[in-house]
Amino acid sequence: MSDIVIQVESLSKVYRLGTTGTGSLRQDLQRWWTSSILRKEDPFFHSPGNETQRHGKNQLFKALHDVNFEIKQGEVWGVIGSNGSGKSTLLKIISRIVRPTYGTVRGKGTISSLLEVGTGFNPELTGRENVYLSGFILGMNKLEVRQKFDEIVTFSGLERFLDTPVKRYSSGMYVRLAFAVAAHLEPDILILDEVLAVGDTEFQKKCLGKIKEVSHAGGRTVIFVSHNMQAVANLCQQALWLNQGLVQEQGVADKIVNKFLLTTQQNVIKQRWDNPLEAPGNEFVQFQSVELVPHLLTDKMPLDVRVPFTVRFRMKNLVDKSLLSIHLGLYTSSGDCVLTVPSAAGVYREGMLAGECTIPGNFLNDGAYYISLYVLAGTAPVYDLESCLTFDLEDYRGDESGWKGKWWGAVRPLIPFSVALQDPVLY
Amino acid sequence: MVTKKNGTWDWEIVPQTTWLGVSLSELWSYRHLIIGLVRRDFLLSYQQTVLGPLWMLFQPVITLITYVLVFGKLVGISTEGIPPTLFYLTGIVLWNLFNDSFLSTCSIFRDNVQIFSKVYFPRMVIPIAQMMSQLLRFAIQFFLLCLITTYYVMFTAWTAPTSLQITAIPLIVILIALLSMGLGMTVSVLTGKYRDLSYIIGLGIRLLMFLTPVVYPINYVEKKWRWIVQLNPLTPLFELFRYVLLGKGLVTPQQVVYSVACVGVVLVVGILTFNKQGDKLIDVV
Repeated sequence: MSDIVIQVESLSKVYRLGTTGTGSLRQDLQRWWTSSILRKEDPFFHSPGNETQRHGKNQLFKALHDVNFEIKQGEVWGVIGSNGSGKSTLLKIISRIVRPTYGTVRGKGTISSLLEVGTGFNPELTGRENVYLSGFILGMNKLEVRQKFDEIVTFSGLERFLDTPVKRYSSGMYVRLAFAVAAHLEPDILILDEVLAVGDTEFQKKCLGKIKEVSHAGGRTVIFVSHNMQAVANLCQQALWLNQGLVQEQGVADKIVNKFLLTTQQNVIKQRWDNPLEAPGNEFVQFQSVELVPHLLTDKMPLDVRVPFTVRFRMKNLVDKSLLSIHLGLYTSSGDCVLTVPSAAGVYREGMLAGECTIPGNFLNDGAYYISLYVLAGTAPVYDLESCLTFDLEDYRGDESGWKGKWWGAVRPLIPFSVALQDPVLY
Repeated sequence: MVTKKNGTWDWEIVPQTTWLGVSLSELWSYRHLIIGLVRRDFLLSYQQTVLGPLWMLFQPVITLITYVLVFGKLVGISTEGIPPTLFYLTGIVLWNLFNDSFLSTCSIFRDNVQIFSKVYFPRMVIPIAQMMSQLLRFAIQFFLLCLITTYYVMFTAWTAPTSLQITAIPLIVILIALLSMGLGMTVSVLTGKYRDLSYIIGLGIRLLMFLTPVVYPINYVEKKWRWIVQLNPLTPLFELFRYVLLGKGLVTPQQVVYSVACVGVVLVVGILTFNKQGDKLIDVV
C-alpha cells in the first residue's frame, strides 16, 4: 500500500458570525454597549436562515463539520458538492490560509495551492517580472523559476509579449501566463480550486493534460475542486462529496460523481399536462403527456441495464395535413448525445397523436440519462421538448466476472465475443 | 486504515495559532519572495513616469524648500549655526523613513487581503519587504543629503564636525526602521479589524512629527516642557543623527538606551500581535 500523505482528522470550521466584528470601531463599541451592558439584541446581526444555529448569544455557522479522510501518495482527489458545501473552506484549511476550529490536518511533503489563477500578478509589471514574482509567491525559489522559465513561456505561448506589462494583455493571455507559472510548480501535493473554468477549449485541454501528467508521471498528489463533473470523473481516482459541511460520501470518483449528479436532478419518468394552458407546445403542436415505461419482470426489480423500456407520448397536432416527424434524443446526464431515433415522417390530420419508441435492454451502459423530444415539420424544427424525462440505469453484471470497476463506454450491447482453444500450443 | 505515529508527519495544522508564527529557516526559504516584493515596489512606484526614481528626491526637496521658508524664514527657528538646508534635510530624510515605513506597514492586511486569502506564505514576509523597500528609498535620499553636505563643506564657511562617528548612522537607521515596523504591525492588525482607525492614524502621525525634533532642535524647546518631547523614543535618535552628521545635538547615552529598549518592546509586541492575531484576521478582513 502506498503512503498516506495527508490525514484529515475530525476537521471542523465554525465561523462566529456575531462576534467577529462589524468592521468599524464605533459599531463594535455600540454593539458591546447594547448587548453586554443593556442586554439587548445585537443591532448589527440578524439571522439569515436555518443554516445558522444559536449558541448562547453568538451566531455560529458550521462551514465544515467533522470531516475525516486520508489521501495516499500519488492519488488525485476530486472534491465535489453544491455551492456553500464547504469545499473552498476545506482547501483553505489544508493550504494553511485559515485555521480550523477543531481537528487536525497532518501531512508529508511540500504543498502548493492554487485557489485562483494569477495570485500575486501585478498588472503594471511585465510578463517576465510577473512570472518571477508569482513563482516566488507560490513558493518557488529563484533557481527553480529560472530553470523552468523557458518551459513556462513556451507553455503559455506568449514569447513575444514577455516584456509588455500584463495590463495590456487580453484576459485570455493573462490567464494563460498565470496558469503556466502554476502548472510548473513542483510540490509534493498540489491543491487546485476551479482553475479550469478559464481559457478557451484548447487551453483547457492543455491544462487537463498537464494535471494528468503531473499526477501520473510525477507521482504527485493532487486535490482538485471543480463543478465540472466530467473533469472530476476523468481526472480523479477518488472523490470526496461534501454536503453542507458534512462528508456525504467518499470513494471511487466515477461513482461519487454519478451519485452526486443524481441528487441534483430527480428522476422524472412521467409527465402529464391536463390543463392545455400549461402544456408545453406552440401554435403547431401541444404535448399532453410523456412517460417512460420500463418492462420490468417483477415489481421490485430496479431499472437496470437489462431492462427494455418504452417512451410513450401524446401530442395534439393543431395544424391540418402537416408533415410531421418526431425525433427522440437520448443523452447522458453530462449532456453527451448517445443516440437519436427519428420516426418516419407522416402527414397527419388535426388531432391527438400517440407515439412510442422502445429502447432495448442490454444495450445502454449504466448511468444517468435524459430524453428530449423534437418535433419537425419536414426538416424545419417545430417544437423541442428538452429533457422531459430523466432516469437512472443501475448496473447489472451477473457474476460472470469478478471485475466491479466502471464499465467504459456509452453503450453496453451484448455483442458475441468468443474465445476458444483450437490447437494445443506446442512451443 | 493505516494509523501513523505523530512523529512521521512533516507538518500539522492545528486550531491553535502560534505567537511566533514562523521559524527563521522558513523565513529564509522565502528570501526570494522578499527581494521580489522589494523589486516590485521599486518598479511600481515609477512605472510610466517621466522622472522615474528621481521622484524619490523630488518629495524631500519640495518639503525642504517649504520648511526652510516657513520654519526658517517666517517662524525663525534657530538652527544653532547649522545651515538651515542641512538641518531640515537631516530631519526630513529620517522622518520620511519612519513615516513611510510606518504607514505602509499599517495597511498590510487591507492591501494584501487578496493574496492572503488565496495563498500561504509566512505573513512576516510582507512587513519585512516593506521595511526593506523603505530602507532603499532612504538610501537614495541619504545620498542626496551626503551630496548637499559635501557642497556645504567645500563651498561655504561651514565645517563638518571633525570626529565623524559614521558607524552610529546605520544603527540609528535600523532602529528607526524596526520601530516603525513594530508599531506598524501592531496597528495593521487593528486597522484590519477596524477600518476607521486608519483615519486617526494619519492624524496621529502628523501630530507625532511635531513631538519629534524634525523642524526644530531639542534645545529650542523650553526646559520645563522638554521632557514631553524626550518621552518620544524617536527624539534621542533624531538628535543623535544630527549630532553625528552635523555636530550639534542634545542627547545622553541614557536616552539612547531608553530608545533602544522602546524599539525592542515595540518590535516584540508587534511581531507577536501580528502573528497571533493576523492568523485570525483572515476570517474577518
